[in-house]
Amino acid sequence: MTSSATTFANQRSVSFGFALLIVVLYIFLLAPLVAIVGSSFTQSLLIEFPPKGLSLRWYVEFFSRHDLVSGLIMSLRIGMITAIVTTVIAVMAGLAGRTLRGRLSGWFQVGMALPLLVPELLTAVGLLFFLYEIDLGKTVVGLQMGHILMSFPYAYVSISAALRQVPSSLEEASASMGATGWQTFRLVILPLVMPGVAMGAIFAFINSFDLYTISLLLKPLGGNTLPLALFDFLTYEFKPTAAAAATISIVLSLIGVALVQKLVGLQRAF
Amino acid sequence: MATVEVTGLQKRYQDFLALDGVSLKAKTGQLISLLGPSGCGKSTTLRCLAGFLEPNGGDILVDGESIVSTPANRRGFGVVFQDYALFPHMTVAENVGYGLRLKRLPKGEIATRVYDVMKLVRLDGLDRRLPKEISGGQQQRVALARALVLQPRLLLLDEPLANLDARLRDEVRWLIRDVQQQSGITAFYVTHDQSEAMAMSDMVAVMKAGRVAQFATPREIYQKPTERYVADFTGEANFLPVSQVTGTGEGSYRIVVAGTDLEVTGVPDIPIGWDAELLLRPESLSLVAPDAGTFRGRVTKSAFLGAALHCEITLDDGDVLRLAADPNEQVSAEGKVGVAIDRSHAWLMPKVAP
Ligand SMILES: Nc1ncnc2c1ncn2[C@@H]1O[C@H](COP(=O)(O)OP(=O)(O)O)[C@@H](O)[C@H]1O
Ligand SMILES: [Mg+2]
Repeated sequence: MTSSATTFANQRSVSFGFALLIVVLYIFLLAPLVAIVGSSFTQSLLIEFPPKGLSLRWYVEFFSRHDLVSGLIMSLRIGMITAIVTTVIAVMAGLAGRTLRGRLSGWFQVGMALPLLVPELLTAVGLLFFLYEIDLGKTVVGLQMGHILMSFPYAYVSISAALRQVPSSLEEASASMGATGWQTFRLVILPLVMPGVAMGAIFAFINSFDLYTISLLLKPLGGNTLPLALFDFLTYEFKPTAAAAATISIVLSLIGVALVQKLVGLQRAF
Repeated sequence: MATVEVTGLQKRYQDFLALDGVSLKAKTGQLISLLGPSGCGKSTTLRCLAGFLEPNGGDILVDGESIVSTPANRRGFGVVFQDYALFPHMTVAENVGYGLRLKRLPKGEIATRVYDVMKLVRLDGLDRRLPKEISGGQQQRVALARALVLQPRLLLLDEPLANLDARLRDEVRWLIRDVQQQSGITAFYVTHDQSEAMAMSDMVAVMKAGRVAQFATPREIYQKPTERYVADFTGEANFLPVSQVTGTGEGSYRIVVAGTDLEVTGVPDIPIGWDAELLLRPESLSLVAPDAGTFRGRVTKSAFLGAALHCEITLDDGDVLRLAADPNEQVSAEGKVGVAIDRSHAWLMPKVAP
């Protein structure tokens, strides 16, 4: 748009149209969030927007309900373990993928993204059979494995992109100065890809926090993740407690994004 | 401080033979240039030396011992990369001290050695900067310092000046040569710039499609090339077709060139009947009166370049010679001129090495 050929007036109308598009897009993305957050503060007994009066009663209600709180705790725990495990695996896979050349490298990328390409329901059903086969059906470990599988591509995409930014000459330089592979990884590669790793971990966490279908099929007996607990809850009651729960999820996501910002901002390089 | 002997080195990328029997020899303290056009295998050779690539054949001996199965991190060679390969998240001092830190030397010793080497390459005062906060020439010197601080047995440089502008290039080039000579480190230096190779090296290996076309001193490479490819790559050159080549002793020949009989020296043992040419560097030719000199012709082009007058002379039989004449020489497009040759600088060589 900065091309000297375009006239000033032209640029203005183009950027105005573009700005309008952005605004519409944001309204479209943010309106549901505003509605749900707003209605969580209502005093009335129904989810409604704009809220009638202001109160925190639905938050109190949320934290006093055992089923919802234990769902939240389960989701947080599974999300954190998912974030850690997928990040470690994705770093290793990224390092491996980086050494491949040509067509093999392309296939490797596709392979790593496979959980995104196969419908979640199919993966879930397949995994359910598999987990029963190895005696992990309907257990927390099984559910955890499902979450790791489904969240892996998000971590991988972010981390492998960061790894590709590191020129291989840095590794060679490090080796030429006597570093072992591990030293090169710890002192050179890891610090440089840390923002991408943090981003990958948070993507994986948010994705895991959000998973529904796979959790529904793999959940342990008597255990629920927050989305499942909420769905059960909404089946019988249509109270703003659900809006409060959703708001808590949004806040958690925002904390994640802020963390990434901070981590990326702290990096001296790139 | 090491002797290096590379014998019959081969490297294959999938089905492409990038190195096809490279052989070189470096004495202690020598700087060897690998010279050739892009894609001829210079970097591949250097990367085999560094240990980043595993050759498919041949051997590399350092101080008489084969190193091909030693991993890069145990070879103890310093490597300077074309893109510098500085660690962007470390300060200049941390970059330079990286190898010492890996050796777990005491902090104080690291600091003194880093300080000394930074002074050597004139980087004093920049220790706390990040690589992105210093200029290209300074980055290049950090890369050099980082390799030198470990007192490597062998210094490997891959086009270290390629990303610098002309003025800096000169400065860093002499710095590299000075430091290399002072410390007596054996060095391999990859470049595609013939003047750089000539000016800096003890020996030059001119590479051609994965082979060494000639391995000799800069003087020999320039004056006594083994084939046209080498002569072409090492400076301005005239090539005249010759006929009736008869050997008159080891490396001396009687030939007929542009209708004139000449006694010249040349590459020894050119096979009888092999396509040969006479190399005449522009500076071995001079303009003389039409009836003096070895050849006669007309000046068909001339360009005043200040220090010299570049002329193109078409000989009577159609061959073309380029030479640098005195800038005040009066040349006319129509008049006949004679061309005298300095026969000690005429060199007979095969068009393609047998
Ligand atoms: N990793 C690689 N895979 C395939 N071919 C390569 C690879 N690296 C280099 N080559 C090829 O090998 C030849 C020599 O390369 P290189 O040693 O880098 O040349 P130079 O440094 O002389 O320009 C080139 O033709 C190049 O295309
Ligand atoms: Mg190269």
